[in-house]
Amino acid sequence: MKAFFALTFLALIGMTAIAWSIAPDAHRDGKTELTWCSDDNPMRRPQIALFNQMNPTLRLELDPSNAGLEKVIVQSIGGVGPDIFDCYSPFQLSAYVRAGVAWDLTDKLAAAGLDPRKLTWPGLHVDAILDGRVYGYPTNAAVNGIWFHKDVFDDAHVPYPPRGQWNWPQLIDLAKKLTVRDPQTGKVSQYGFMCDWTIDYTQFLMQWGAKFYSDDGTRCTLDTPQAAAAIQFMTDLIYVYKVSPTPTEEQAMATTGGWGSGVISLFEARRAAMAMGGRWWLCSMRSIPGLKLGAAESPVYNERIFRAYGKATLINSKSPNREKAFAFMKYLASEPYNDLINKQADGMGPVMKYSETDKFLHDPDHPEEDYNDVWRNLMKDAQPDQVSPFVNGPAVDRIITKQLDLVKMRAKSAAQGMADATREVNEHIQKQLKHDPTLRQRYEALTHTPVHSPVQ
Amino acid sequence: MLFLLPNFLGFAVFTAIPVLWSLGAAFTNWTMSNTVPLQWTGLENLREMLHDTEFWLYSLNTLYLMVGLPFAIFGSLLIAMLLNQKLRGMVVYRTMFYLPTFTNGVALMILWKALYNPDFGPINSALSWFFHALRIPLEPPAWLLSTHSLFALSPERVGFDAKQFGLGARDALIIMGVWIAIGGNNMLLYLAALTNVPQDLYEAAAIDGAGRWKTFWNVTWPQLAPTTFFITIMSFIGGLTGGFDQARVMTQGKPAGTTITLSYYNYIKAFEQVQMGYASAISWALFAIIFVVTLIGWKFGSGAMGDV
Repeated sequence: MKAFFALTFLALIGMTAIAWSIAPDAHRDGKTELTWCSDDNPMRRPQIALFNQMNPTLRLELDPSNAGLEKVIVQSIGGVGPDIFDCYSPFQLSAYVRAGVAWDLTDKLAAAGLDPRKLTWPGLHVDAILDGRVYGYPTNAAVNGIWFHKDVFDDAHVPYPPRGQWNWPQLIDLAKKLTVRDPQTGKVSQYGFMCDWTIDYTQFLMQWGAKFYSDDGTRCTLDTPQAAAAIQFMTDLIYVYKVSPTPTEEQAMATTGGWGSGVISLFEARRAAMAMGGRWWLCSMRSIPGLKLGAAESPVYNERIFRAYGKATLINSKSPNREKAFAFMKYLASEPYNDLINKQADGMGPVMKYSETDKFLHDPDHPEEDYNDVWRNLMKDAQPDQVSPFVNGPAVDRIITKQLDLVKMRAKSAAQGMADATREVNEHIQKQLKHDPTLRQRYEALTHTPVHSPVQ
Repeated sequence: MLFLLPNFLGFAVFTAIPVLWSLGAAFTNWTMSNTVPLQWTGLENLREMLHDTEFWLYSLNTLYLMVGLPFAIFGSLLIAMLLNQKLRGMVVYRTMFYLPTFTNGVALMILWKALYNPDFGPINSALSWFFHALRIPLEPPAWLLSTHSLFALSPERVGFDAKQFGLGARDALIIMGVWIAIGGNNMLLYLAALTNVPQDLYEAAAIDGAGRWKTFWNVTWPQLAPTTFFITIMSFIGGLTGGFDQARVMTQGKPAGTTITLSYYNYIKAFEQVQMGYASAISWALFAIIFVVTLIGWKFGSGAMGDV
């Protein structure tokens, strides 16, 4: 038996040695291998292929399994992190910078003539720029408009939404005509309009003139009549105008997902005549046969303002290949990459000027998509979500989502929900300050109010 | 020692050291941030936990989801006794009842999510038919979309709210949990224990003229005490650390956080909000609770076992 264990042990050591010796060399074929932590969207393959084609000395590979914030930070600090990774929010950017894994590219990008502050959509800067320093380059851009089914409108003899600016009462008029309710059971087979509360509520807040935080970011300011009115309007779409599904109806219609995650699939299944969504929906909708789609601008309320969102890609400051990884930043700023993103409809390319071309407006492979100007026009008036350096983004998301749940199911009024959200976010800010001396100093400098810290 | 080394190294690197590290981290402000220097904060995380409304709210959710444990345990016993009969095809029955345990948990949860569909799910369809047939003026519950609970727990604070009385997401998870647990490993354990009950005890009871109930109460039940004790302790541990899969797959903690349990809260704090020190403290608090519960159970349970 001893001999068996000894042999097994030796065999394991031998196999480890063999595996070590045949492990792929980071520089095989004379090429430097770069790892990109990003989501496993099928659109990534052509994006990576194009990069490799444009950079013959480099080989970019996707690592979708380690794309989480904490994984990137821990692995990077441990010296085994990716060379480049995606950043989806200002909170993530702040976490990466504070962990010291985001490489400051301000000077390098300026020297290369690629300053994203001058070239890319302003709405995307929050994911790449922090306190005036540039840590990455925007990867794609998105803004939500109104998708609609042309054939549903045609069948109902309802005119399409107007091409330019329009307003919410106009949308409600159309949506009422397109909501199909069974007169006997009262059940709705097709809604006039759908949106994803957890994603779209900030656009309603912006348009109704509400501000998430005070200008200095030191307190949440959602307890205003504007914020309450914005969320009340979203509730009214469900319960007063009855053009959008209740949470129960939405869940009942959902084949997968639920709780808002299925708005695209519900729209694709024609359960809604109109839906609020981005150009990137085409990545899924192009594969659905028989859809006759149109797109219009998102309606406006008081202000012509829309919500910009997207992501940026950063370079790992601990990566031994970080200088070579800079080629990816140049790639993101290049015309071929931006044209590819625009053609794939993976949102819009990050660089503004490449959407001012005829090939952006008219894709010969998709002549039916005659609405690309809509996204460009919306993007010009799009702004990012307001952020505060004093909050933990995901914690605030949870607070808001909880209150939106309660408002959406009418467990409390919109005004009460926003007041409770404000109180909880402000309590959260105070909690954050107690633990972070840097934030505390900054807060005290802004408010001239001392913060008691339990840990000195 | 040499032969143990590979196993020991794996245990040390992947279990012992991380566990000890988390114990140390529970007394620090670790956030993986350069701007927050790693500091020893003593019992600060514990103090914060005591004042953390969410911690208590989600502890209550965890305890509430454990309401189904007695039903699951006694259901397992009942099924095991039924499957302990000498009937043809019993192996098939046993396999059928154990089948959910073989099935992928995520698949089961997706199936139950469909069953709970408020409009088209078979559960609500049956309830609607039943209410309609008996002319009961009630609407079927919204299940996974409702913050209601049978104990009328408030979704926002530790307390009661009469408006929240009813069947909701938490009750839906309890029912599903009982269904999964009834035919699972507990049933197997009871089945094994039942086959080990000495037949002469039953024969003696029969000679004494004991009926079925008296035989069960005076013979079977005491003989099953060690197994019941083991199952109860393991179920408590499972209940206190559970709820993560259901929350991730079925509800994402919704509606309004009512399906967030301590284990899911721990994940949120560590991997969504990157508060590693605080999350470690929650883990160790959970461990302490489990340890105390097990000790209490051992103290009272071992007495019962001694009578056997």
